[in-house]
Amino acid sequence: MAATDLLIQKEPQAAQRAAADDTLLREVEAHESYAQLVWRRFQRSKAAIAGALLVLGLTVMAVFADFFSPYPLNEINLQDTSIAPTVVHFVDAQGRFHLRPFVYAQELTIDPKTFEPKWSENTDKMYPIEFFVQGSEYKILGLIPSRPHLFGVEGDGRIHLMGTDKFGRDLFGKSCQAGRISLTMALFGTLISVTIGSVLGVASGYYGGRIDDLIQRFVEFVNCFPQLPLWMSLAAIVPRTWDSFRIFVIMAFIFALLSWTTLEREVRGKVMAFRETDFILAAKEMGASDARIIFLHLYPNSLSHVLVILTLTIPSIILAEAFLSFLGIGIQEPLISWGLLMRNAQNIQSLGQYPWMMSPVFFIIAAVLGFNFLGDGLRDAADPYATM
Amino acid sequence: MINYILRRLFISVFLLIGVGLVSWVVIQLPPGDFATTYETFLMNQGGMTQKEAEAAANRLRAQLGLDQPQWLQYLNWMKGIVTQGKFGYSFAYRRDVGELIGERLGYTLLLALAAHSISTFVGIFVGIYVAQRKYSLSDNVASVIAFILASVPRFWIALVIIYTLVFKFNQHHITSFFAPQYALAPWSWEKVWDFIKHVWPVVFIAGLGGVARNMRVMRGNLLDVLGLQYVTTARSKGLDERRVIGRHAVPNALHPILAYQGTVLPYMLQGELEAAIVLGIPTLGPLFYESLVNQDIYISGGLLFIYAVLIILGNLISDMSLALLDPRIRYN
Repeated sequence: MAATDLLIQKEPQAAQRAAADDTLLREVEAHESYAQLVWRRFQRSKAAIAGALLVLGLTVMAVFADFFSPYPLNEINLQDTSIAPTVVHFVDAQGRFHLRPFVYAQELTIDPKTFEPKWSENTDKMYPIEFFVQGSEYKILGLIPSRPHLFGVEGDGRIHLMGTDKFGRDLFGKSCQAGRISLTMALFGTLISVTIGSVLGVASGYYGGRIDDLIQRFVEFVNCFPQLPLWMSLAAIVPRTWDSFRIFVIMAFIFALLSWTTLEREVRGKVMAFRETDFILAAKEMGASDARIIFLHLYPNSLSHVLVILTLTIPSIILAEAFLSFLGIGIQEPLISWGLLMRNAQNIQSLGQYPWMMSPVFFIIAAVLGFNFLGDGLRDAADPYATM
Repeated sequence: MINYILRRLFISVFLLIGVGLVSWVVIQLPPGDFATTYETFLMNQGGMTQKEAEAAANRLRAQLGLDQPQWLQYLNWMKGIVTQGKFGYSFAYRRDVGELIGERLGYTLLLALAAHSISTFVGIFVGIYVAQRKYSLSDNVASVIAFILASVPRFWIALVIIYTLVFKFNQHHITSFFAPQYALAPWSWEKVWDFIKHVWPVVFIAGLGGVARNMRVMRGNLLDVLGLQYVTTARSKGLDERRVIGRHAVPNALHPILAYQGTVLPYMLQGELEAAIVLGIPTLGPLFYESLVNQDIYISGGLLFIYAVLIILGNLISDMSLALLDPRIRYN
């Protein structure tokens, strides 16, 4: 009796405690971190996911350009100059369907009247496209020797998805490789501008008063300058005799020079809004130093907005860099960027003869679209508490 | 009000001085000065020996005051611009830079403003149209197109236009304002039409991004306003939808567009610059690019200054018109 009594008495208590534990646990579970909320909001936007994938894809293609390019990247092949983009066929000249896509052999003929060299397809010889073919040797990340290429054709067949330029370089492989410079340049320039913008923005927002006034007048002054013309004139001043890496670094600084003002305004606004909140006042009351408040409390809270602007600054630098390199006052050979690859199209005659010289533009569009979509998605996600 | 305008003017003067200073630095940054360029020019083209050329260069230095200290040279340069409209001397053209700029400035502004007004109108109307059909097919299509327009390099659009015009339609007068028979003719409707036929690509390219921006801003604002209670009141009074939109909602959604009328000018000028360089339309753009390539420094510096002045003016005008139009804005 006593034992059962005890049991009965005990049971409700235990059940209660268990229930309490359970709700507590559920509460803990129900509480999602800021990062989780952002990620959830971000996933809702298909465009943002697509943008992220585009950016990721281009980055992978740039890093492993040797693998994606069917031919060695730094090979100059004066026999295969200015070949039109290879058409990938599924149906052959006899009308038969092939599951494995193939390309025809390209043959050079000279026009008897104009002596203009012309490439045409020889439908007698066909080469099926193979994947993971063993081709020329390269080094993954410059370290691990390796041979497979993503795709290619066996024998003497050639495949140039975007054609070749006047040095016989495969434009597709080159565009993959050019992504290294174009993307790093944009990222590097953006990081510099983020640094400048953050430092000035925090200083302006946190200290306020005269410092704020001074920095804001300076921002207005910098905003007076037309970005593109100033970029162009500064880029044109850089001596062409410098080595290309130095030009690269200087160019990144030039782009950063005018790009930081939006970010500065944003950070300043955020910091100013947070400066008067209770948790900052509490930190101040507890005697936290300025540095502690800024780096531990204020700046992390504006970090999501910094990230958004960072993502949206990158495409503008990609576009500017492409235009400047296209004009010949940007990146210099032997470094290559997407704009530089399009440089031959500036000559109206070669534009007419070889319109595929413009093809690296698809990489530019993909990169800019990708970052814009990503940035737009991040902007919505950065404030997950707002209702949509 | 007058106080506010005066204060803005006062600040603008300071900005101009600063902008002039930076332009001057750009002129001075390349190694050597104007006379050094003259010296190499004399040796290469005039066949002089180095000694003769150096003597000539030194004479020129004394004549132009290039042997004076930097700050004095800067003051002289600014004085020349303000009092006589003289921007220095261009080697490639062997003329005063001020004249060169003067010849082309009008056309540049005309094209930039044309692109600006067309893109504003089109953007506003498309924005109004899609805001009434939120999340419909046309709305989604318009936003996707707007996104793509903002992502495509303008110089590439220019290349595509050149390619189609020259190699598909055999139109060969793309790098000028007029066909040869109209170049010296007095203005007539045919000449205007010919002019439009030559410059539309520039206006089109410069305006594209603007359409996208205006559309997005207009759509967003109108959607905000349409959610306000007075719109509901207007609807429940029994007003027809066109009146609700046209008379009540749109005027209140227009403010943000008005607010950046001035700030959008640099955007248009840059679009004009990029398109005109690739298309070779003789406005300020190609002049600027050539001067950069040839190190014709007084043109580069002068044009940089002009561009900045245009931006400052644009900001000033937009601030003032906003102050005049919107009584809610406080002037301090």
